[in-house]
Amino acid sequence: MARLNRDTLIALLLLVFCGVMISASLDIEETNYGTMQSSVWPQVVLGVLTVFCLAMLGQSVLKPSVVKTENGAGSRGLGRYRNAITVYVLFFLFLVTLPYLGMLLGGIGFVFLALTLLGEPELKRVPLHLAIAVGTVGLMWSIFTFGLGVLLPDGELLQLN
Amino acid sequence: MIETLMYAFADVFAPWNLALMTIGVTAGLIAGAIPGFTIAMAVVLTLPFTFGLSPVEGLSTMIGVFVGGLSGGLMSGMLTGIPGTPSSIATTFDGFPMARNGKPGLALGLGVWSSFFGGIFSAVLLVTLAPRLAVIGLEFGPWDYFSLVLFALTITASLSGENLVKGMIAGALGLFIATIGEDEVNGVARFSFGIDDLESGFTFLPVLIGLFAFSQLLSDLQDRVKARQPLMDASGADARIRIEHLKAIRMVFARWTNLLRSSVIGVFTGVLPAAGGSISNILAYDQAKKASKTPEKFGTGTPDGIIAPESANNATAGGALITMMALGIPGDIITAVMLGALLIHNVQPSPTFISDNPDLAYAIFVAFFLAHFIMIAMQSVTLRLFVMVTRIPMYVLASVILAYCAIGVFALNNITYDIWVLFFFGIIGYVMRQLGFPLAPIILGVVLGHVAELNLSRSLAIDSDLMLFLTRPWSLFFLLVSVFSIGFPWYQKARTTKAWTLAYIPVLLAAVSVPLFMMEGFVRPIIGVALLALSAYLLWRSAASGWKVAPTGDHEVHLEET
Repeated sequence: MARLNRDTLIALLLLVFCGVMISASLDIEETNYGTMQSSVWPQVVLGVLTVFCLAMLGQSVLKPSVVKTENGAGSRGLGRYRNAITVYVLFFLFLVTLPYLGMLLGGIGFVFLALTLLGEPELKRVPLHLAIAVGTVGLMWSIFTFGLGVLLPDGELLQLN
Repeated sequence: MIETLMYAFADVFAPWNLALMTIGVTAGLIAGAIPGFTIAMAVVLTLPFTFGLSPVEGLSTMIGVFVGGLSGGLMSGMLTGIPGTPSSIATTFDGFPMARNGKPGLALGLGVWSSFFGGIFSAVLLVTLAPRLAVIGLEFGPWDYFSLVLFALTITASLSGENLVKGMIAGALGLFIATIGEDEVNGVARFSFGIDDLESGFTFLPVLIGLFAFSQLLSDLQDRVKARQPLMDASGADARIRIEHLKAIRMVFARWTNLLRSSVIGVFTGVLPAAGGSISNILAYDQAKKASKTPEKFGTGTPDGIIAPESANNATAGGALITMMALGIPGDIITAVMLGALLIHNVQPSPTFISDNPDLAYAIFVAFFLAHFIMIAMQSVTLRLFVMVTRIPMYVLASVILAYCAIGVFALNNITYDIWVLFFFGIIGYVMRQLGFPLAPIILGVVLGHVAELNLSRSLAIDSDLMLFLTRPWSLFFLLVSVFSIGFPWYQKARTTKAWTLAYIPVLLAAVSVPLFMMEGFVRPIIGVALLALSAYLLWRSAASGWKVAPTGDHEVHLEET
């Protein structure tokens, strides 16, 4: 059985998304004022989006695009997204710990870990990464706090404001 | 007008504003010179700094980054053969060979001064054309404005990538994102799914930075080996090169027809929604080659091959600003960000922008002029900085910028929710990039979604007759060009092989002449007659040659992130 074309799968997922959102649009409150109900425009947009998704589905079935094979793509699999996944996980941790660490410590932690995990895995680079993290995040924090007057979030661990 | 201009001069030439513009131009020059670091990303990342500034200071800084970025691409293109931005691709064709032939100072001089004169030419047109175009914009009713938004979206989608359907899906997704949250017309929450934060919708900035900058950085980091290497090999670039200013100015003036033609191409490409420097530099190069008496010299280091693309790409900036200021429609991601900056300062971009905010509008004009002079002054300085910056590996730059994105986004409303929005749209943007969806249409959809809905609602409130979209001349005009813009990718693919493409332009001209005939006065119907006559002439010429298509050496036009 032929493998499911990537674009076909995306089109199907988008169609499911359209279906869910169209269904959600039916729950939008109706008002007895205004000439155009609040649900009209989203429904028009979703209708148009559905048509384009159907066109993509048809296109992907009738004229499947040539899937570019990259060197070693099979063996690498998710490995080629390792850096992206690493950054997203780190950023997620940064956000979750923001109430405890605050922007300054959390930012330094994020940059330091990102540099260490994305850069050369050498112990001698760790102090350099730490210096870069402290220097750059400290500078940005200072510019926003003192230069632009922004109250960046403090954490429970370190109260600066 | 003179009084307004004087006020604008006073605002723009204030020492703090001059300092900000100098920093902006320098940052733009460096960002433009780094491959993979686009001008749009530089402008996007400048936005958080502008919250605490006045509108004039914020916009002046962003214009500085924009102008600097357009000129920065030539440095890496000429010295290393790798264009810093897509708007400098054609500059590399002749700039790199000239630099390799022992004339890097002259090559840089030609590039810098062509950029300068192209930019100044477009600045003159910006000052003269934008207010006039805005007067036309005042004729627009909500029907016309809605159709204009539709045109901006369709042309962006059709030029944004090889797959039109994906471009259209991206545009529609952008419009959908804009519907989430409280509706502006009736104040009803939509698609909030019981989550309080979602009731206020998504602020434009976190969405933009997430979709565009965050996902771009992640894409740049994807190759683990490359991410650990210095940004580029600039070993061939000598920071001590002396730019040959006087010789370059003389050579540029000696080729004034090329300069003028390329600048005109740049301005009109910029005026068109969606078309940016990435298109104009190649179009101008092609035209310069066709018009040259020695086309065989192109590609070997001829001055005309540098003057054409560099004057065109800077002139595009002025063209894009004309559309943004006169009609309130962003031509590309950069002007979309600038519109976002205006919204942050509670300035509503619309055809009445220039008449409602003359001080700010004229300050933008003056800042655009001034940015070009600063660019000339800073080019030699940034050459040294550029060589230094290229030694930094991408993973260091990306990690630091990601932290900056979080801080910058938080600064907008002082709420952590915005950083979550950034994170969420960062994932969406990255996935969309990986799946081959262009991001320009989605961003334009997000920016223009509210404008479209508001104008549709207004038009229905005035009259529920939908036929008005077809019977009002400007609305019909924009709908017709929207239809033709959708067909443009097919035309482009088939124009050297299929006979029907010979009829595409004549039919387009004939079609747009119809709304011109419907307009009041004498001038527009006369333009309509001229277009109809041109259409008939083109059809006759094609028929006389037996409907034979001739292969051309033109480059295919695709919008890339500038």
